[in-house]
Amino acid sequence: MHKIKVRINGRDFEDEVDSRLLLVHYIRQKARLTGTHVGCDTGNCGACTIIFNGKTIKSCLMLAVQANGADMTTVEGLAKNGLHPIQEAFMDRFAIQCGYCTPGMMLSACSLLQTNPQPNEAEIREAIEGNLCMCTGYQQIVEAIQYAAEKTRK
Amino acid sequence: MLKLEEILVTRNWVGKPVRRKEDTRFVMGVATYVDDLDIDCHHVAFLRSPYAHARILKIDTSKAEALPGVIAVITGQEIARQTKPVVPRAFNKPAVQYVMAVNKVRYVGEPVVAVVAENQYLAADALDLIEVEYEALKPVVTIEDALNPKSPLIFEEAGSNVLLHDKMVHGNIEEIYKEADLVIKEHFKVHRYSSTPLEPWAIIVKYERANDSFVVWSNDQQHGRSIVNVCHTLGISTDKLRFIVPDSGGGFGVKLALWPYIVTLALLSKKANKPIKWIQTRTEHLLGGTHAPDADVEIDLALKKDGRILGLCIKDIQNDGSFVHTTGIYGLIKFATMSGCYNIKATSAELVSVVTNKGPTVQNRGVGKPTMIFVLERMVDLAAKKLGLDPAEMRFRNFIQPGQMPHTTPSGEVYESGDYPECLRKGLRHLGYDEFRKRQKDLRSKGRYIGVGISAGVEPGTSNLGYYYTSRGVPEYMGNAEGAIVGVDYDGNINVLLGSVDSGQGHATTTSQVVADMLAIHPDRVSMTNQLDSIISPFLGHSGVYSNKFNDVDLGAVIMATKKVRDKMLRIAAHMLGVDRSKLKLKDGTIYSSENGAKAVSFKEIASVAYKRILLLPEGEEPGLKEIAYYKTPFAKMPSRENFNIQITHSNSVHIAAVEVDVESGSIRLDRYIIVHDCGNQIHPEIVRGMAIGSTVHGIGASLYENFVYNEDGQLLASTFMDYLKPLSVGLPNFEVVHMESPCPYSLLGTKSAGEGGAITSLTALANAVEDALSPFGVKVTSLPLAPEKVVKAIRETKEI
Repeated sequence: MHKIKVRINGRDFEDEVDSRLLLVHYIRQKARLTGTHVGCDTGNCGACTIIFNGKTIKSCLMLAVQANGADMTTVEGLAKNGLHPIQEAFMDRFAIQCGYCTPGMMLSACSLLQTNPQPNEAEIREAIEGNLCMCTGYQQIVEAIQYAAEKTRK
Repeated sequence: MLKLEEILVTRNWVGKPVRRKEDTRFVMGVATYVDDLDIDCHHVAFLRSPYAHARILKIDTSKAEALPGVIAVITGQEIARQTKPVVPRAFNKPAVQYVMAVNKVRYVGEPVVAVVAENQYLAADALDLIEVEYEALKPVVTIEDALNPKSPLIFEEAGSNVLLHDKMVHGNIEEIYKEADLVIKEHFKVHRYSSTPLEPWAIIVKYERANDSFVVWSNDQQHGRSIVNVCHTLGISTDKLRFIVPDSGGGFGVKLALWPYIVTLALLSKKANKPIKWIQTRTEHLLGGTHAPDADVEIDLALKKDGRILGLCIKDIQNDGSFVHTTGIYGLIKFATMSGCYNIKATSAELVSVVTNKGPTVQNRGVGKPTMIFVLERMVDLAAKKLGLDPAEMRFRNFIQPGQMPHTTPSGEVYESGDYPECLRKGLRHLGYDEFRKRQKDLRSKGRYIGVGISAGVEPGTSNLGYYYTSRGVPEYMGNAEGAIVGVDYDGNINVLLGSVDSGQGHATTTSQVVADMLAIHPDRVSMTNQLDSIISPFLGHSGVYSNKFNDVDLGAVIMATKKVRDKMLRIAAHMLGVDRSKLKLKDGTIYSSENGAKAVSFKEIASVAYKRILLLPEGEEPGLKEIAYYKTPFAKMPSRENFNIQITHSNSVHIAAVEVDVESGSIRLDRYIIVHDCGNQIHPEIVRGMAIGSTVHGIGASLYENFVYNEDGQLLASTFMDYLKPLSVGLPNFEVVHMESPCPYSLLGTKSAGEGGAITSLTALANAVEDALSPFGVKVTSLPLAPEKVVKAIRETKEI
């Protein structure tokens, strides 16, 4: 067992964890933040995407002990003083069907818009290439990210 | 049947792209899927067979049971002692299979031992300590293997690996073939693929010691039937099972087959005396949870020289793998689309289902209809080529005309409405077909190969359940229906409980639009419980989310229950206001007199009388404002071999794909993709657009990337998303969706189905486009997927993909 200290969505957590505990299981089971999902176990689907020290990672590919000292944002941390523009855009542009990919998808989109506030369609598609959506065929997700970027410009 | 103007009193919401009610919880990350439920559980892991076909000689679980943290273990033998075998639905031969392997394993990944431990890590550790001795048997992998009389039997008691073999002729096929100027034949192979919902199967079972019963939480798609299956298999009465379906992360048919695991978990929860949870891993999902069968289809078309298709014959062989519950159901369902969009006079279908040591199959999105439209629409292109006709012209010459609707196919399927020629005309205009042909010629001279593929498909909705029983007598389920409860609460707001569940379709949103326009209120005042609970929600054996049934029957139930509530509110209002009911109208959550607007009562005031001040109710009126209604498909035919309908409504579409093939690498680039789609009246056009595109991408994935490759030992070589490749955001075009609306005369709102469509029609659009692009090389497409190595080989050597 190892002692870890992490910050998730601005809140500090301190826990004793097994060395083999996956970060995604820590987030879901210990921190009880269940918006981060598991879809493939191999880092392909992106349902477990979180922002880790400013960059997106797939939390099923990291151990909880490796996150010691890290500052993380999960989907539950997106809304501050009302919904984040990307959350509004996903709703306004019908980017959601079953909702399972949505948290990871939105975090990848946020990460893109932070580094490239006015992406073109190809850049958007590339930014979410690591996030699988089985329902939408991606088009309304791409449109939502474009819309969020446009709204920010205005 | 109620008329539209009797149903909707306003037209403010139906047909508008309002924000989806479901989405707030999804964007906040606070949706509740099974694994998110805050229930203190032990965890289940399954030891699965490493062999495709083997006898189980010995199982030793003692070391696993001794591991600290392990709570309970169960083997297939123990399961067989405590449960009944799985009941087949479509065939009569004896084939005994339990929910776990007993004595023999039949596919790689079949559950052999289940372990309960304090957490999922310990459960996985325990699996490593179980010793199983197998005697390997020769695997039966392909359709050829299954048909070879020398092959071993998957089910010895069946005496054959062919579990279903039937032939059905409709119309005067012999005469039709005599009239034909020519007959063309082809043999197609369709591979195994699956729509793989992003959330895998998930189950929690809690044993209730106090009354010896079970509570199940699961993302099951058809709980109405699963309750029956689980209780029958466990040998318990249905009052001993409470079934709860929370949020579900996609279904696509794949979650129709998870119920056998509920049986195992129920036994384990009793043994462990604690709630237990199983969350399927992706590898478990790909190994056995589950596939569309691979198929060999021989088809021939009887043609006139002018291009008219007179009749068709198919011989359809499905490799149904190793799950008797679904074996055989992919054959007959092809009749829902057998003659496609065309005026075909006679059909003959020889339907064969074989079992092998491949994994189980289930009703994957479209269920057999993608294969049917694939072979038919490929044949239309091959016939056009043979007759020197343009593929578009070939279709125009055969389409059922709008004036011929409703159209009954030779087997009895009724297409209720649609303008098939106009869909194709719109699609061709949208593409700029003639310019495309010119550009194709120019580019070819420069060594670039672009092609266009047309596919026209019928996209049926709402299964007339029981159709697969033609060889088994009166079916246990028939027709289709759903139940709904609509209540007005103390505050005059509306709550709806539906017997179906949502796995991405936006049921709460579309329901609120319809109820809002029925009661003249804002949809914000209509809520729908997102969780189905079998002791609270209305349900039938048909209940669930499958075969695009929502518009046809689920909304029917909502409409009928809302109407009952509306009628009751009108009766109470008439009494309260002293105004004749015929003079009352609804507006903004009030009921008022059309002759004197000052005479009005709000829903809240009516509710107050219905719930509290009940002595003010009219004479003989029951208190309360909550009504239940069930709605069944009014046009479902009884099962019969001569005249039957597989499905109840029939949307249609034309897909046009424009591709470029790199003849050196074999890679296929999708340049444009046009979907002309007609699902009758639309309640929410943006939800429909999402369904049309999403389902199309399932077909594109199947056509280009996804393939459950098995080696000769029956090992699945694509068991993670690293080797089972799904479509990504990159590589897909911007889909151009063109809507047409031909109202359905047989559904309450003139709607048809919107969920499966693209998965049916898209396979051929790509295949036809690739063949068109490669026509200078004389390449013919007779199989899927269109993998780059197959494309290159066809160009250089085989001339056939």
